[in-house]
Amino acid sequence: MTELGLTPFLLLAAFLFACGVACVTVKRNAIGVLMGVELILNAANVNLVAFARFNSGFRLDGQVFALMVVVLAAAEAAVALAIVLNFYNNHATVDVDEANELKG
Amino acid sequence: MLDWFSSTPGRLYVVGTLLPLAAFALLLTAGGLRALCRPFRKQGGFAAKVYWTLGGDTPGRGGAYLATASMAAAAVLGAIGLVLVLGDHTTGAERTARWGERADWLRIGSLDSAAPPVWEKQRETDPTRPAPGPALALEVGYKIDQLTAVVFAMVTFIGTLIFVFSLGYMKDETKETVADHEVDNQRQPTPPAPLPEGKGETDTHDAHDAHHHGTPLPSGRGDGGVGSGYSRRGRFGRFFLYLSLFCFSMLNLVIADNLFQVFVSWELVGVCSFFLIGFFYERPSAARAANKAFIVNRVGDAGFLVGIFVAWTYLGTLNFEEMNRRVRGPDPAAPGLVRVTPAGDGALPLGDARADGTHLVLRPASATKPATGTVPVPAKPVCTDHGALPYWLFVVMGVGIFLGCVGKSAQVPLQTWLPDAMEGPTPVSALIHAATMVAAGVYLVGRCHPLFAPEVLLVIAYIGAVTLFISATIALVQTDIKRVLAYSTCSQLGFMMLALGIGGWVAGLLHLITHAFFKALLFLCSGSVIHGCHHEQDLRKMGGLRAKMPITAFAMLIGVLAISGAPLLSGWYSKDMILSAALAYVSVHPEHWLLFALPALTAAMTAYYMFRLWFLAFTGRPRDVHLHDHAHESPAVMWLPLVVLVVFSVGVAWGWPLWEAHASQLGHVLEKAEPASVSAAFAAERAKEHHVHTAAGLVALVAAVAGAGLAFAVFYRKQPTPEALYARGPAWHSFLLNKWYFDEAYDAAVVKPTVALARAAAAADKRPGGATEPDGKRLDLRTLDGLLNALGQCAAALGGFLRGAQTGRVRAYVAALALTAVVMLWMLAIK
Repeated sequence: MTELGLTPFLLLAAFLFACGVACVTVKRNAIGVLMGVELILNAANVNLVAFARFNSGFRLDGQVFALMVVVLAAAEAAVALAIVLNFYNNHATVDVDEANELKG
Repeated sequence: MLDWFSSTPGRLYVVGTLLPLAAFALLLTAGGLRALCRPFRKQGGFAAKVYWTLGGDTPGRGGAYLATASMAAAAVLGAIGLVLVLGDHTTGAERTARWGERADWLRIGSLDSAAPPVWEKQRETDPTRPAPGPALALEVGYKIDQLTAVVFAMVTFIGTLIFVFSLGYMKDETKETVADHEVDNQRQPTPPAPLPEGKGETDTHDAHDAHHHGTPLPSGRGDGGVGSGYSRRGRFGRFFLYLSLFCFSMLNLVIADNLFQVFVSWELVGVCSFFLIGFFYERPSAARAANKAFIVNRVGDAGFLVGIFVAWTYLGTLNFEEMNRRVRGPDPAAPGLVRVTPAGDGALPLGDARADGTHLVLRPASATKPATGTVPVPAKPVCTDHGALPYWLFVVMGVGIFLGCVGKSAQVPLQTWLPDAMEGPTPVSALIHAATMVAAGVYLVGRCHPLFAPEVLLVIAYIGAVTLFISATIALVQTDIKRVLAYSTCSQLGFMMLALGIGGWVAGLLHLITHAFFKALLFLCSGSVIHGCHHEQDLRKMGGLRAKMPITAFAMLIGVLAISGAPLLSGWYSKDMILSAALAYVSVHPEHWLLFALPALTAAMTAYYMFRLWFLAFTGRPRDVHLHDHAHESPAVMWLPLVVLVVFSVGVAWGWPLWEAHASQLGHVLEKAEPASVSAAFAAERAKEHHVHTAAGLVALVAAVAGAGLAFAVFYRKQPTPEALYARGPAWHSFLLNKWYFDEAYDAAVVKPTVALARAAAAADKRPGGATEPDGKRLDLRTLDGLLNALGQCAAALGGFLRGAQTGRVRAYVAALALTAVVMLWMLAIK
């Protein structure tokens, strides 16, 4: 198996990140926005792992960071979903544009 | 206690000066306390007790008696001091120590009073260097010489008499409510009251302002308005409060030994005159006259300040004696100014005192020996060093100091305030015109005489000559009894200035003293007349008052004779000396013939207008029967000061032999105080004076007799009809009646442009349509307000625009963030 090198991983991470940002930007659905955020986080994960693999200065640092991010993402998703659920209960919608009660 | 005085008798004068100040402070405290307690007067308690103890609603008289007593005590001290000064035969340093003390007040520069180490080192190598003087410091101090003693005695004595007179004259002010009809008269739009100024546009504003800014003791009745009659609370105590402060300022000015202290008192005198001239400040005319006196004096004071600055910078001291020693040199035999052109190597070639040059040699203030040959000019001269002062700056200094005196002593071109100052109560006029304010200017010219370059002295002489002539011509036609006297004061002050300018130092200051007595007498007499005629001042309505008020008539006749220069009365001595000094000067310098022609002519005019006043007021048939019927002699408290002043007006300048003007005893006293430079600079004139003085005396006498005779013929033999008095004369008559149009000229040249400038500034400041346009709608860049608003409007518009970006939509923010990141990364990439 030929060695792939760093670049394809970074390209993949960039693509994932772009997708995530696009998703966060375009979606009005709160669940969709959350999914975009997950994509962004995972793009970062890919980067971390890829750098850890291809940079001899690191040992397991990147992987540990990635695990950390996964854990954080899970926690974040839990909290965010709870908020979305609550919002749905109160407003019968998950459209983020409707969440404007705090607007000045 | 006695020890304290006998070691330094000059302290008598300090105590005498501080007495009126103490009276002022007490009156001020009492009045202020009462005003503070006034709101609680009905609630009882401590504050109310204080209020009722201090007089309550009725103006108290205790303060007035206190002020009069302290002034009388000052007069006693002044008399004792005068005797001591004249009897003191010590000389030199001992005399200086006995009659003067000085102390630093504000030290500017080195805090250490010891000599700087540099000096000590220099003195080791060169012991001939003069000892260092004190560091530059503003000082307070006093120095008593014969001039100070005489003027001090005069001010306190006349001041006491005026205080006593005021006790009677200001009696109205002791009432709980005083109705001031004058205020109503001046406020009524029709008919326009004959205001002294003829600038009627702003009167009501003045009065309102004056009233509202008023004082801790308002009448509580508001500004009565037209018809209802204006009335207010009497202000007896306040009058004496101001008078005391006035006297303190003047006394402090007289005993001061340095220019700075003089300046402080100078300003105090100015502000007191402002208070007193505007004593009836509800009257628009009085408020305006007070402002005018104050503002016109500021013009002069600006010049005075310039003079002080030059002296401070170049002479390094403001002490009179040190300044004189710096410019005149220590040698009493040759106390002239030395002009030189400094040599290239920074040395002053000393030599012939009469030589020409661009600079004036400054000598060390403490040197005792005259320097000869050349002396080095230090780069930065201090008052212990030799130095050089550009001659033109020396002239500027003299002119500046004199300009201050022009303002205070009401000389042309700043004379316009003095006649308007008649708006004050008559005792104030007497005080201002006789003893204090106007005397200050002449006194200072006498004090600073050694500091004046010959050019400056010539200016002084000409200003004096022009003033005495112009004022006398105006006085010829005035119909208000006080205004005639006011212009005669201007004229007499011109005589004094003229005398000082042509080297008649003694003559000018002697005239200051004698004039103070007879002018105080004349003013108090006119006050008595005004009081007896129920505040009528128009000469045209008087007449035949001699039968009604014999004492006043007699006293005034003496005053008139004295001012006209009737032989053996005090005015004759001083005027004779002035005229002979003038004639001597003119015979040495024939090109300045005006300096004798004008005073000789004016002597005749003086006699004419003074006799005209007396004949119009006291002789003939009564022209206003109603006025005449109700006229009465004043109470004793008012005529007693008159009698005392009569005695002094007759005899204050007497000497033996009586018929010799130059034998005047007072003149001899003043002569001892004359700076040595005067007789040195005017030696030729002095020598001439003995030859011409009979001729000058004859001229003065003939002039006086001619003037008096003309007045006798016109106003006594041929009784003028009332119609003739009211008639409008030829063009020259209205020219004189309008005071040579000085006020109008200043109005057009200064006041109008200033007002126009202010209006233009106001117009540029305000938005034209500001009232109707809602704010922030329209840009207006033509006015200041508009410009500033435009700045605000731009900021507001920018804010409104940027507000659109803050939508509150997180997705939009994220998009912006992402796009920004992309753009930045792209910029990094293309680097």
